[in-house]
Amino acid sequence: MTEDAAAKLAERLTELWRSSKSTVLERMLTLRSACERLTQEPSDADARTRGLEAAHKLSGVLGVFGLPQGSEIASSIEFLLETKGPLTAETLTALQRRVADLDAVIASKPDE
Amino acid sequence: MSRRVLIIDDEEDIREVAALSLETVAGWDVLVAGSGAAGIAKARENRPDAILLDVMMPGMDGPTTFRELRSLPETADIPVILLTAKVQAADQKRFSDLGVVKVMFKPFDPLVLAQEIAATLGWQEL
Repeated sequence: MTEDAAAKLAERLTELWRSSKSTVLERMLTLRSACERLTQEPSDADARTRGLEAAHKLSGVLGVFGLPQGSEIASSIEFLLETKGPLTAETLTALQRRVADLDAVIASKPDE
Repeated sequence: MSRRVLIIDDEEDIREVAALSLETVAGWDVLVAGSGAAGIAKARENRPDAILLDVMMPGMDGPTTFRELRSLPETADIPVILLTAKVQAADQKRFSDLGVVKVMFKPFDPLVLAQEIAATLGWQEL
């Protein structure tokens, strides 16, 4: 790839991140809300499905915008939510910690 | 040589980044579709050189879309690369067993996506 193409791609990716960030934040909101619900009701299947879908989408998209650590954390959240049976207190604590970590990773990315 | 690649993914941001990457890095002609059904229609109409197909989509998922593409004479021979965020080995084997040319993982690197596709398909231009 030429330097020109690389620079153009980087510039367009920055523009796309600006326009996609609101969707990413909406997915974080869905994930956070699902995890809060699961803390109150660990067997809530709908909340788990909502959380899984949000985590899955985040794991797929964050890395393409230069946040591979965000993708890894989202993937680990997805893994925790796929655990069979009701979520244990230990798993819920781990979930809350990882959601906070994910928030911090996303917040660390500048818009420009 | 100019190539035409169809991206089928329900997530708009993934479609946009992948399309931008393939157009900017490789200069390929890129078509996009947001669902399996729309992708099949575009594949039949445009006969792309390759299809990049997401696994998890609402309605018709990637494996179902792939089987439908294989059943249609106009699209049966188009090479399909599956894109998935799932990384478990069992999933990878299940997807590979379908008959796709490769399973690629999200998140992909926009800087090298085109080279990976070209290498997979034996396209020499990159």
